[in-house]
Amino acid sequence: MAMQPAVLAETTEPIEPEAGRLWLRALRAPLTLTGVIITLVFVVLAVIGPWIAPYDPSAVSDAATAAPSFDHWLGTTQNGQDILSQVLYGAQASMLVGLGSAVITTVLSVLVGITAGYLGGTSDELLSLLANVFLVLPGLPLTIILAAYIPHSGSLGIILVISLTGWAWGARVLRAQTLSLRKRDFVEAARATGERTSKIILRDILPNQLAVIAAAFLGTVTAAILTQASLAFLGLTDVTQWSWGTILYWAQADSALLTGSWWWFVPAGLAIALIGTALSLVNFGIDEFINPRLRQAGIATLKAQRAQVSRRRTKRVRLSGDRQPRPAGAPFTADSTDVVLDVRGLKVNYGATTAVDDVSFTLRRGEVLGIAGESGSGKSTLAYAITRLHKPPADIPQGEIRYTNADRSTVDVLAMDDEQLRAFRWEELSIVFQSAMHALNPIMRVGEQIEDALVAHRPGMAAPERAARVVELLGIVGIPADRAGSYPHELSGGMRQRAMIAVGLALDPEIIVMDEPTTALDVVIQRQIIDKIMELKDRLGFSVIFITHDLSLLIEMSDTIAVMYGGKIVEMAAAQDFHERPQHPYSRGLLESFPTLSGPKKELSGIPGSPPDLRRLPSGCSFRPRCPAAFDACAEHEPRLYQIGASSAACLLYSDDHVVKMGESA
Amino acid sequence: MRTVLRKLGFYLLTAWVAISLNFLIPRVMPGDPAEHLINQFHGKLGPAAIQALRVLFGQPDASLWTQYLNYWHSILTGDFGISYAYYPTDVGTVLGQSMFWTLGLITACTILGFVIGTGLGILAGWKRGTWLDSLIPVTTFLSSIPYFWFAIIIVLVFSITLNWFPLSGGYSVDTTIGFSGDFIASALYYAVLPAATIVITSVGGWLISMRNMMVTTLSEDYVRLAEAKGLSRRRVMYKYAARNAMLPSLSGFAMSLGFVIGGSIVTEVVFNYPGLGTTLFKAAQAADYPLMSAIFLLITIMVLVANLLADVVYVFLDPRTREG
Repeated sequence: MAMQPAVLAETTEPIEPEAGRLWLRALRAPLTLTGVIITLVFVVLAVIGPWIAPYDPSAVSDAATAAPSFDHWLGTTQNGQDILSQVLYGAQASMLVGLGSAVITTVLSVLVGITAGYLGGTSDELLSLLANVFLVLPGLPLTIILAAYIPHSGSLGIILVISLTGWAWGARVLRAQTLSLRKRDFVEAARATGERTSKIILRDILPNQLAVIAAAFLGTVTAAILTQASLAFLGLTDVTQWSWGTILYWAQADSALLTGSWWWFVPAGLAIALIGTALSLVNFGIDEFINPRLRQAGIATLKAQRAQVSRRRTKRVRLSGDRQPRPAGAPFTADSTDVVLDVRGLKVNYGATTAVDDVSFTLRRGEVLGIAGESGSGKSTLAYAITRLHKPPADIPQGEIRYTNADRSTVDVLAMDDEQLRAFRWEELSIVFQSAMHALNPIMRVGEQIEDALVAHRPGMAAPERAARVVELLGIVGIPADRAGSYPHELSGGMRQRAMIAVGLALDPEIIVMDEPTTALDVVIQRQIIDKIMELKDRLGFSVIFITHDLSLLIEMSDTIAVMYGGKIVEMAAAQDFHERPQHPYSRGLLESFPTLSGPKKELSGIPGSPPDLRRLPSGCSFRPRCPAAFDACAEHEPRLYQIGASSAACLLYSDDHVVKMGESA
Repeated sequence: MRTVLRKLGFYLLTAWVAISLNFLIPRVMPGDPAEHLINQFHGKLGPAAIQALRVLFGQPDASLWTQYLNYWHSILTGDFGISYAYYPTDVGTVLGQSMFWTLGLITACTILGFVIGTGLGILAGWKRGTWLDSLIPVTTFLSSIPYFWFAIIIVLVFSITLNWFPLSGGYSVDTTIGFSGDFIASALYYAVLPAATIVITSVGGWLISMRNMMVTTLSEDYVRLAEAKGLSRRRVMYKYAARNAMLPSLSGFAMSLGFVIGGSIVTEVVFNYPGLGTTLFKAAQAADYPLMSAIFLLITIMVLVANLLADVVYVFLDPRTREG
């Protein structure tokens, strides 16, 4: 097997607790827990209701339309029947219909959904069509018709009717799920080994859909209870069988409203609303379990809120008039001291986990700074933190990001207020994201997405001027002007990425952060884009922070390289030095794990072990467990960056102690 | 355009399924609904009317295929038989009177509920993690309430206790139906409580789904990029986040619409509103099959038309569906 060249382990989110623990957390969420408890109480009441009911619900008495009292806690009906007993008995019928319908409906949905999704082809098309038809047919009128033909239908009839009209929604969701699961590797693998279909479905597909099935089940329980209540209220069920809907039917029929007997209809309706709310709350918990993005919404910190919530409109600082012209871009030289961005001691936390720890570097005018690292090394977090685009729960507890303005004054990006930050963004520093497919708004024309940066930052610019600038920018990146009116999906992958760069250049920024701008592209297009970036950099004179896991690319295009590991910069050196004399054992490992584009053939060795878990970093040096050169002190001391010639590396090999010791023993 | 045409085809298919279901249901149900129905009239029907009912609800002496063809002939000529509950009025006339009430009430309320719910959902999603999150349990509760029960409570409070609004009906009996200011004012006045019921109970569903979509969309790269561009919050919120977040809401319209209409029908009963819901209720009470099945067809057609409109709006909002 050939080694994957120059690509470090790459997954997206480093901080993702395992699924099992999430269930527990979902349960611990107060709202979900409330929902579960209320649901359980209702289930218990439905089971024991008839035993604990104080009266026969149908027994008439002299206490007609009596308000709640000690004898009748919830009062009585016109015929002197005890309402509490009716509600307790009713719980049984209502819950039975709810759960019964949900069971049958869910079985139907699972059967249809999974069959359609798994088999695909014609059977999928037919079943999907059927599901869609039933989805659009208005359920309640159809149910009413069906129920009306079965006069005085009991619970079973109602359950069947509800199931018949309600299966489509779950089937559609499950079909979509199955379809995407079927394409996953583990299912493909099982199919390739000739596993029986039924076994694949039971073992590989169903368990992965439990959350969705549970959500559909609970949703159906609510809907079925509501539907049953509606039907009973309309008198379409057996009105002598007590359910919450029947109670309301009699209340309506006997004009409880006109006599003001609120106690007659309030309890049954409240019961329906309560169980519905409880089940919805449980479902929200499941939703958050299925959709991790919703989960993060709940843990927004106060600090993050302040960034989310717009303030009272402050006076807008108009930047258009007094914008200072920048010094002309001069070619970058290694001894330049013309610093544009100075990051000092930057730290980014995700809750209790530190994703970026004490990172410092400088970016000089015209420089290309390459940041390399495996997934979870903190490189993307760093990129977002520089522009304060980090999202909760990410938080910057300390550090400084000083930007040098055109007039040589410096400003701390972290100290800016909302309006200053808004003005700073894009004007001075823009970002090119990894996937243009995701970073361009799918429902806006490309030209408009370039133009709105101009609208926001150059309020004085007239529309024709802006249009001309859009065409100019597209020309710079080699996109025909008529493509300004295209939507992102109408462009090819390479063109989309170039459009992204055009967006990034719109305001002629001083710095462009590029977060894996070419990773999603094929090699030929990748080359074109890189050449374009380098050409533009020389022509327009901006500085670049280039983030990638592609080390060979980085060595080729960067002036300076910073290697990140476990949230820290472990080596920083000029690209040439780095390539020829990597100092940190990790850097050496990286360089040995892929072939150079040119140069002699050599054995590829790679690095044993896997990237560290940021939540459980080893003591001392975080690379220690994988380091071939580790010694005792590495477990005790966290290495700082040591200077070795023009390079610096965070490794105890270069600590004064160690160097001295080595000298003594020699 | 092609998307809309494909959708149109799909809705025509659905209409065909609905009509065929309507044909099949009385024929597969136990007993002979047609016979039962005809007996109900106690010989008040002429032979032509009996024949019409037989065509609609089952002719034991004809083959299913012949019955089906005859049935379609009746549907296409608008012959839905004579209503039992409103004897001797024929079904077409009964529906002609009630459908505009429902159409007006439900159209207005559905749109209002969607706009308010989606609007609040945008806000709740944008300002997630603030006090607005407490709207969720409240609206969940409101949307779990049975429509008709909420209607009863509203009537109890605002009609019976406070006496602010009329108890039931669609307009004051002293006015005559027509395009007079009096009548319109009276109709609007009578519609306040039913409308409030439908809007308040339907807002929750839209709000929650929109809020969740908003939260999901806000972590999309394109929203982050819009923020990085230093656009104004308004623009990021509406043009980037909300517009994209709304798309699934719109395509979920179909499912919710059926639910909203179902709920509204029962609401009408509580208010004795002169629309399709109350008519359907009376029909169900009287086992008036001709009226019931015609109402089912009519509501289905209304839902399909509404869905088609939602699809057109969708195509307008999402360029990706505009290909070809």
